[in-house]
Amino acid sequence: MAGTGAASARQYRLAPYLLIAPGILWLLVFFVVPLVALAQTSVASSGEPWWDGYVRALGTYGTHFLRSFRYALIATVLSLLLGYPLAYVIAFRAGRLKNLLLGLVILPFFTTFLVRTFAWKTILSDGGPAVWLLQQVHLLSEGGRLLDTTLAVIGGLTYNFLPFMILPIYVSLEKIDRRLVEAAQDLYSTPLGAFRRVVMPLSLPGVFAGSLLTFIPASGDFINAELLGSPNQQMIGTVIQNQFLEVRDYPLAAALSFVLMAIITVGVMAYTKVLGTEDLG
Amino acid sequence: MSNKHFDDRDHEIQQLLRQALSRRRFLTSSALAAGGLALGGNLLASCGGKEGGSSGAGGGGAGGAVRISNWPLYIDPKTVPDFEKATGIKVEYNEDVNDNSEFFAKIDEPLKRNQSIDRDIVVLTDWMAGRLIVLGYAAALDDSKFPNKANLVDNLRDVSFDPGRKYSVPWVSGMAGLGYNPKKTGRELTSIEDIFDPKFKGQVTMLTEMRDSLGLVMLALGRDPAKATQADAKAACERIKKARESGQIRKFTGNDYAEDLAAGNIAIAFAWSGDIQGLSADNPDLKWLAPKEGAMLYSDNMLIPKTSDRQDQALAFMNYVYEPAHSAQIIKEAPYISPVKGTGEELAKIAPELASSPLVNPPEELRARLHVFKALTDAEDTEFNRLFQDAIGA
Repeated sequence: MAGTGAASARQYRLAPYLLIAPGILWLLVFFVVPLVALAQTSVASSGEPWWDGYVRALGTYGTHFLRSFRYALIATVLSLLLGYPLAYVIAFRAGRLKNLLLGLVILPFFTTFLVRTFAWKTILSDGGPAVWLLQQVHLLSEGGRLLDTTLAVIGGLTYNFLPFMILPIYVSLEKIDRRLVEAAQDLYSTPLGAFRRVVMPLSLPGVFAGSLLTFIPASGDFINAELLGSPNQQMIGTVIQNQFLEVRDYPLAAALSFVLMAIITVGVMAYTKVLGTEDLG
Repeated sequence: MSNKHFDDRDHEIQQLLRQALSRRRFLTSSALAAGGLALGGNLLASCGGKEGGSSGAGGGGAGGAVRISNWPLYIDPKTVPDFEKATGIKVEYNEDVNDNSEFFAKIDEPLKRNQSIDRDIVVLTDWMAGRLIVLGYAAALDDSKFPNKANLVDNLRDVSFDPGRKYSVPWVSGMAGLGYNPKKTGRELTSIEDIFDPKFKGQVTMLTEMRDSLGLVMLALGRDPAKATQADAKAACERIKKARESGQIRKFTGNDYAEDLAAGNIAIAFAWSGDIQGLSADNPDLKWLAPKEGAMLYSDNMLIPKTSDRQDQALAFMNYVYEPAHSAQIIKEAPYISPVKGTGEELAKIAPELASSPLVNPPEELRARLHVFKALTDAEDTEFNRLFQDAIGA
């Protein structure tokens, strides 16, 4: 009796390790090992000191880094402005349409990222409907264009990453106990007050997760800048891709990747400090 | 066991590459290169196991389709089915070469490891074909299975990057010049300078293919691409950079300029001579021009990757397209310069109006204006590339 108890206690203690083992193994093989290889590559400039790649990365491509973060930040804010009300309506007001609306948010994922971005290229083309419409209402000058502009790149980023903003916000709104809102109203809070003091704070973990899920991939993205931008809108992802595939300067490309990772990590830590929610942990 | 060998071989090949890409030094080093390749080949055959062994017999892929990678707008719709009917060999024809460097990046690693790239013929521009040959990535062509190789025109027989054409034969030759949409430009063009005309700001594209874009801009500046110096490259790159930063140049493209030109997004592009006809279905207005300052001349070449296990089928395809009548069939839809003797006569039978076209048969006056970019040394190549990548903002 005592023996089996000890055995089961041991099993109980081991269970968490067994449960995380596959995940750890996966990350080890497919994340840590490539990362180490990448780190080695980044310091392997032949005939140059090891930091050569990093010096060139920061020296030559500073503007690309800044531009990437600027675009990603704008796209994240736009996604939040578009996504929050949408998630709110789906969570609280959609009634029977809730599942349909959620399905519509996810629907674009049924086609690939690349095809969707190509579709934007067609929509925004100089002879396309968007340009025509904007010219009719004189928002765009004659001969003006949308394709291959900053606007198109940020628009593409916002469009492509919007669902990553909506879904986490929806989840955190959905799990809010409605009785808390009712209680606030019982205590003579206005609807706006209830939103500001109850709903919004409780949905912050979703905003936090959503903005990270939008900002991080957006700042490393290269498809949108490549397809919807001109050479003056190239983002750091385009540079990395180009250095890896075209110029084949592997040390520089690897160093650029590490600089990007480092900046994002620091940024995310700062962001966590400011908006940090224990709920998320 | 093979790792060290591979590393040694890599190093050796890097060295050879450095030497061999200089045209002047090529002849002296090619004997050495051949020796190195033979050695490399042996090493690989002994290490490569399955993949290395099957190529000689040619039966490895018996019944398998011949898998081809070519550039878009480079073939007619009849050649592939006709070849399949005539030989019983299936063809998997991919238009997946958009840019030499981009394509090389995809095939370099597997070929270095002697792995299959699932291709039996790849079509690459002269300088890149040279790189594949020097690296030992190309299989020698078995002339006994390719009798029509005798139809290759004389002036392309002995090229510096492949003396005697042991590894490569041209698919077609082409010119890089100006493609434009007269409806958007509002006038006929004559000069490379037209691409810098502020009137077309944001409506022009250049090619990511360094030798074409740099060459054309050098011509505009009155410099000779065949004798390009670092100063010439710098001057041309500065011109390009200024135009890019001012927003004059909308994009730098591979073959994908074609869709923007056809869609009317751009007015003028640095474009390849034969593409425009292929686009006429989408946009019949488009024109191609060899500017008065000159145009760039190049060939794209068929090579068999050394890891192909269907070399017999690949040779059968090469042999087929080197029949003058078959070459004419291709040129009819993709009006480039055929490297096959007797194509002109065959073309006159099926498309008389095209047979005299300057795209297919450049007249003397045009030939005089065609330039071939200098064969760069490794150091020059790196330096020119650095300048060019900076200029195009990549």
